[in-house]
Amino acid sequence: MNRHVMRAIIAKDLIAVRRSKAVVIPMLAVPALLMIVLPLLVGWAARSQQNPDLGRILGTMPGDLARPILNLPQHEQLVVLVNGYLLAPLFLIVPLMVSAVLAADAFAGEKERKTLESLLHLPVSTRELFFAKLLTAFLPAIAVSWIGFACFCLVANGVAWPVMHRVFVPTRLWLVMILWVGPAVATLGLAVMVRVSARARTSQEANQLGGAVILPLIFLAVGQSSGLLLVPLPVAMGIGALIWLVALLLVRGGARHFTRDQLAAKV
Amino acid sequence: MPPAIETNDLTRSFPSGVALDGLTLEVEPGEVLALLGPNGAGKTTTVRLLNGILTPDRGRASVLGLDPAIDGDEVRRRTGVLTEHAGLDERLTARENLTLTGRMRGLDRRWVERRADDLLERFGMAERAHLPVQGTSTGQRKRLALARALLHDPDVLFLDEPTSGLDPAATRDVIDLIGALASEHGRTVVLATHFLGEAGRLANRMAILHRGVLHAFGRPEDIAADLWQGVDADLDLGGPVSAATADGLRTAPGVLVVADTPTGLLVRVADREVVPRLVRSLVEQGLPVYGASAKAPTLEDVYFAVEARIAIAEGRTAGPPPTDVLSASVPVPS
Repeated sequence: MNRHVMRAIIAKDLIAVRRSKAVVIPMLAVPALLMIVLPLLVGWAARSQQNPDLGRILGTMPGDLARPILNLPQHEQLVVLVNGYLLAPLFLIVPLMVSAVLAADAFAGEKERKTLESLLHLPVSTRELFFAKLLTAFLPAIAVSWIGFACFCLVANGVAWPVMHRVFVPTRLWLVMILWVGPAVATLGLAVMVRVSARARTSQEANQLGGAVILPLIFLAVGQSSGLLLVPLPVAMGIGALIWLVALLLVRGGARHFTRDQLAAKV
Repeated sequence: MPPAIETNDLTRSFPSGVALDGLTLEVEPGEVLALLGPNGAGKTTTVRLLNGILTPDRGRASVLGLDPAIDGDEVRRRTGVLTEHAGLDERLTARENLTLTGRMRGLDRRWVERRADDLLERFGMAERAHLPVQGTSTGQRKRLALARALLHDPDVLFLDEPTSGLDPAATRDVIDLIGALASEHGRTVVLATHFLGEAGRLANRMAILHRGVLHAFGRPEDIAADLWQGVDADLDLGGPVSAATADGLRTAPGVLVVADTPTGLLVRVADREVVPRLVRSLVEQGLPVYGASAKAPTLEDVYFAVEARIAIAEGRTAGPPPTDVLSASVPVPS
């Protein structure tokens, strides 16, 4: 595969995405809300509360999740519960959401804009085209996710400093989730969405078709990710590896079945 | 010299039906071939097969000695394509559309930038170079897409409906540009169109497709020779002539058909040497002959005659009437 050619395809798509307000605004607004505004509000709420009683809430949660929080001083419990645990699932939604939006546009958007045929007439191999489109969705998703997480850490620690008097995020498990599991989940989602996009006629259709697959994945991710912060580090790494394995198998299958003829026949 | 393009029994179907059925033809290096036919004739499918973005169900093609189904990337490296929809990214500027295409072709960035600037200048787009394509006219888009197709100086140029959607002035501009491009460096051009005017101006040979089947292929005059026996000649006698005069000509040696016109007679003769003999005979009868000109069939005459033949073969009414008067009285050859 020619890296220069792939870089050019990615550059073209990213320049175009950057200039499309309809894509950029929701792509940045949702992560900003989840990773900056929400921890800010929670931190302020925690600061303004004098020793809130979380006993009843923590009592409804699994023992493994509740115990580390109950062991903390009472004035730290709210901020650690929300910013340290409950917001965790959102960090898997962000890369999944961004990559799904961009991957849906990968081929269906080109069809919609009537630019796909000219792309197919270029001397770019099918593999180069497939992986370039995959990376066009993956790289911004990871960038938004990681930059967003860095912002989250700054905001969460900053706003909670008067309560916590220490840096409480990220923990090692958080880092595993952000740097290892998040990209795996993003890859899993976009491996599906790129294939859907190649078959759909418009990006709207791709989003609708993909929703049937992506949404259940999101719910699955949301459901499982809280627990991920409670398991031992090697187990979290293992879960991440498993997701990577499934994602890469899907990518490999997608690359094998992806043909120029199949795309050209639908132009 | 081997042909620039060669196809043998090239066939491709889609779920909706057969798009191209057994296409066999050759295009010489430096030649301009017009692929003519109505919508759905198989012109675009032919271009896509020749450039290797579709694979044939049957048969094979060769472009510059390479099989597009096997060496697609190498073929595409040496060909340029103007698609029916210009296919430009509206969110990018005119210059970015060219430079990024060049980089996607694996060309050196600096070389591409210089080449893009040259082409934008040449195609009258320099002033819009740094503006987004969104907002440019259809004519400007076609010119820009043409510049993009030429970015890497291809040996073969595929032009799919290059003037569709253009106003007459823009059509003339684009045709002039294509004419100039075709004569440069002995470039081979395949022009898929349903506009006979541009085909007539640009093409050396034509291939008439209908529902995926090639019905005629060659120079217009050669196809005409297959379609019609003889040559048409317009005899200007200053006005209508008597039935006796017309009957007299009908029996003259070498005369195939005679038809009345408001200014005299239109005759179809076996060959052009018959025309001076007819003029002499008319003058000897005391009739004034103001003019006598042999008419070569136009591209339109040929195209519509082929279309009429297809219509008869398919058992339906012929489309637009042939432009020449004699066709009405002469059975369309099978």
